[in-house]
Amino acid sequence: MAAHCESGTLTSLLNYAGLEISEPLVFGISSGIFFGYFHKTKAFSFPTFIVRNKPGQMRKNIEKRLGVKFSTYTFNSPDKGMAKLDEIIPQNIPTACQVDFFYLDYVPSWERVHINAHFMTVIGKEGNNYVISDAYFPTIMQLDTGSLEKGRFAGGNMSPKGFMFHCKTIPQTIDFESAIKKGIKKACFNMLSIPIPFLGVKGIRMFAKKVVEWPEFARDTEHLSHEIMKINILLEDQGTGGAGFRFIYATFLQQAAEIIHKPQLKDLSQQLMIIGDGWREISLFAARIGKNRDLGQEKLRQLGDMIHDRADVEEDFFKNLSKAIN
Amino acid sequence: MTTPSEELKLEIKKLIINTLSITDVDINSIDDEKPLFGGENTLTLDSVDAIEIIMAIQRKYGLRITDQHIAREVVRSINSIAQFITDNRKI
Repeated sequence: MAAHCESGTLTSLLNYAGLEISEPLVFGISSGIFFGYFHKTKAFSFPTFIVRNKPGQMRKNIEKRLGVKFSTYTFNSPDKGMAKLDEIIPQNIPTACQVDFFYLDYVPSWERVHINAHFMTVIGKEGNNYVISDAYFPTIMQLDTGSLEKGRFAGGNMSPKGFMFHCKTIPQTIDFESAIKKGIKKACFNMLSIPIPFLGVKGIRMFAKKVVEWPEFARDTEHLSHEIMKINILLEDQGTGGAGFRFIYATFLQQAAEIIHKPQLKDLSQQLMIIGDGWREISLFAARIGKNRDLGQEKLRQLGDMIHDRADVEEDFFKNLSKAIN
Repeated sequence: MTTPSEELKLEIKKLIINTLSITDVDINSIDDEKPLFGGENTLTLDSVDAIEIIMAIQRKYGLRITDQHIAREVVRSINSIAQFITDNRKI
């Protein structure tokens, strides 16, 4: 079991290849924590936000900072994509696949939604079924060839195009201290200094300001209620480890404090846990007003104020984190 | 593994009822083992209620459930909540 599919999958591939590393360390070293707000544009039919870096970035950052090498593949042809997987799996090489979550038959039907950036690991094949290790499930699962192919070659935004990867080489020695520091510095840069008004702490502020405008983009109350309740899903229920990845990053800081001998990171970890509690309050507030269809301007302003408060505390937090690491 | 006390289970039932302002369920009718979600128990909760309960547990017992997979298991039934609190609270 893991908190998040991408960091969880990376962790299991690294562990299998002989590198002992925890999921929070993978998440932190790869600068997974982030925030981005996307107001209604041509690309987004309704405003939305992200609480982590973009899919695939964690793997790239892990390669860069730990010196690990992954073999990666994408395909235009489903036949070629499945054939390549069938060539690799008998060599006992666990292989991570990007899939549309909706086609994973082992997921209960009521939990299946179209998410094109889910990652799971194929670890074997028995007859017509692939043997799957999925970070969201405690036991090994099975998936038939047709479903896996549909999942790997689903269409739509961020289509997986059969993307898969496996571990190629692990360096003999790894400088974890340097990797952790680089991971933290990049996370602080992303949250504080990217000169784009909708990313990082600036993005949280934009979210706070713009959420009162959301009714203008909704078809009706049902639609608005659905979108407001989605705030809860994006923060709590999409493999975030709770509170929009803030809890998993706090755990990373706790572990990093020991490795790089900086006890002040433990205090910062505690602070981030409390910041995460605030995100969870937002999540609950959004879910509650959405469920009760209590979506007047006053409630949305209240929601905006709560989000604005997170921007302020996260700005302080990341400034302190940046000082602690320098 | 210590077995949770009946007293704790009653305390949890009261906590849920008070947190969610439930007025139409008799506390004695809540089954300890039947799932709290899905309609099998006299209490029928949803995912929003689950977050309320997780936060109420944190406030009352000082136990933060960070991971949603664990949270899902914990809030499954009165017994699972009681076991989690028994296993994790500091004496």
